[in-house]
Amino acid sequence: MRRATLGVVLALLTGAVMAPAQAEQGFDWPLPDWMPRPPVPEDNPMSAAKVELGRHLFYDARLSGDGTVACASCHDPARAFTDGRDRAVGIHGTVGNLNAPSLANVAYLPVNAWANPHMTSLEFQALVPLFGEAPDEMGATGQEARIFATLAADPYYGTAFAAAFPDRPGPDLFTVTRALAAFQRSLMSFDSPYDRFKYGGDLDALSEAAKRGEQLFFDHRFECYHCHQGVLFTDNFQREGSPWVETGFHNTGLYGEYPASAPGRIEITGDPADAGLFRTPSLRNVAVTAPYMHDGSIPDLRGVLAHYARGGREGHANQDGMIVGFQATEAETDDIIAFLNSLTDQTFVTNPAHADPWPGDHPARINRADP
Amino acid sequence: MKKFVILAALAATPAFADQPVTINFAAEIGGQPFACDATYAGLGSTGAEVKGTDFRLYVSDVAMVATDGSRAPVTLEESDWQHAGTALLDFEDGRAACANGTAPMNTALRGTVAAGDYTGVAFKVGVPFAMNHGDPTTAPSPLNLTSMFWNWRGGYKFVRIDMVPTDRSEDGPKGWFLHLGSTMCASEGKTDAPKTPCKNPNLMEITLDGFDPATQTVVIDPADVVSGADMRVNAPDTSPGCMSFPGDADCMTVMAKLGLGYGDVPAADQALIRAR
Repeated sequence: MRRATLGVVLALLTGAVMAPAQAEQGFDWPLPDWMPRPPVPEDNPMSAAKVELGRHLFYDARLSGDGTVACASCHDPARAFTDGRDRAVGIHGTVGNLNAPSLANVAYLPVNAWANPHMTSLEFQALVPLFGEAPDEMGATGQEARIFATLAADPYYGTAFAAAFPDRPGPDLFTVTRALAAFQRSLMSFDSPYDRFKYGGDLDALSEAAKRGEQLFFDHRFECYHCHQGVLFTDNFQREGSPWVETGFHNTGLYGEYPASAPGRIEITGDPADAGLFRTPSLRNVAVTAPYMHDGSIPDLRGVLAHYARGGREGHANQDGMIVGFQATEAETDDIIAFLNSLTDQTFVTNPAHADPWPGDHPARINRADP
Repeated sequence: MKKFVILAALAATPAFADQPVTINFAAEIGGQPFACDATYAGLGSTGAEVKGTDFRLYVSDVAMVATDGSRAPVTLEESDWQHAGTALLDFEDGRAACANGTAPMNTALRGTVAAGDYTGVAFKVGVPFAMNHGDPTTAPSPLNLTSMFWNWRGGYKFVRIDMVPTDRSEDGPKGWFLHLGSTMCASEGKTDAPKTPCKNPNLMEITLDGFDPATQTVVIDPADVVSGADMRVNAPDTSPGCMSFPGDADCMTVMAKLGLGYGDVPAADQALIRAR
């Protein structure tokens, strides 16, 4: 009896240890101790093989209609996965309507779009740049069979899909979107000077100007933190094991009448109260993601602060009540910008685990447009 | 083994001596049930019409009051809504004007209390100091909502009732927000937790005598609280509405009606919460 009992105990212990390891097959969340994990969809558990496959797909321009546009064409890791342009540029030089958003920490964002509240998974979102036609981004509409055949013939993918998806070992809509989502979910950025100061106890990690700027940022005179709230500096947040899915969309008074090309959440909901409402962006790495706002219409952080100081550029009936305007001295503005600069995670923007895996002369890359 | 004995004792005792209690709450504005698609007329000193865009509050230190005036603490069940004696009441459903809220709602406190005869209920509106200044990113639910958190120094928004005037003046504010929380909490910086209690804890102490949880409801209605404030005006360089911060003219008529002193203005009877 004694042995049997021990056996049961051992089996229980082993099971408890093995279960998470199996679920995440060699994938370690690159997170500091203080940061909880993001939620992961049941049909797309993380694995090291899947993240690595997703990285190759992310940089592979053969996913586009003419082999020139990859995800990376608008999401450059050195710019925290933005592109430096006011609006994204897709296939055939098509200029889009919106500013390419950063992909840092997207796993924690319940909505993965500027203005579509229904875009609630990275897997689903991947279909938009791939197959969207208004505007064309990667222009792959109707060409998926040819594209998947091309990928299947690549020796790397021959083994990589089998490693990531043993039950479904080839490129198709399911595996490609799952792998792209898994890679994006791995893009964690929590090693800025501010993180080392705030969570790491390194009181010298911030300049005196940035420390003053932090106090102003969290002051009710400026109200920055009412929307740029919490660990991601946005009121959009979800995490593993929490019942809450928090989303925040706001009209910041950029336009008296928002143009039809980017009207805000009303485009999806049809509700006049949603005119000009866009998702609050995270401010992590904000200093390297210029230009700003949903349409890139403000070139620098000083301009953004001036916009909020005025209480909105043109003003709008739906303008958020928190944007009341403020007066700031030049020195105060400098300090807030120093604080925003301290949110740049150099480890993240130079992380080799996120870099282009393809050799320069590889067909995945040779015709790729880079930002 | 010692631990097991203690755990067993803790687990066993309430089963014999405790009774379940559910305390129901209702949110209203000017006597009309709160709903995210409703408008409310006659608010504030100029009779503004408003939409409600948020209606949430934290409650803690819940007790039933016995006939002799003694208080029996209510042990709140652990759940997504209740942790370590603090509960979140949430009357917005994330729809319509409350789109930046959350879908789940919670309109009741659930727990157990020692068996006995009770004639009233007592609780505080707010989060106790020991739990109020932690890290919301790692806190257990319901203390992990970005929308209910100020910063480490200030802690949580004990009350968040957001109202947006639909007939606002041309230059007026786009919203009038009632955010109650602790103020004048001494700490190194705004993102450092204070080590000693805040000068203005701003926890509301509520006692409702003659309250029977089986048949009655606790009603929360900010209309009387804001009756002296102009919902279409915001004092320059202050938070829109009243967010408890010292020196905000928009708070002068408001805080006393939450039963709290504010600067030179003494506390009056709270007008936010009553039994029905």
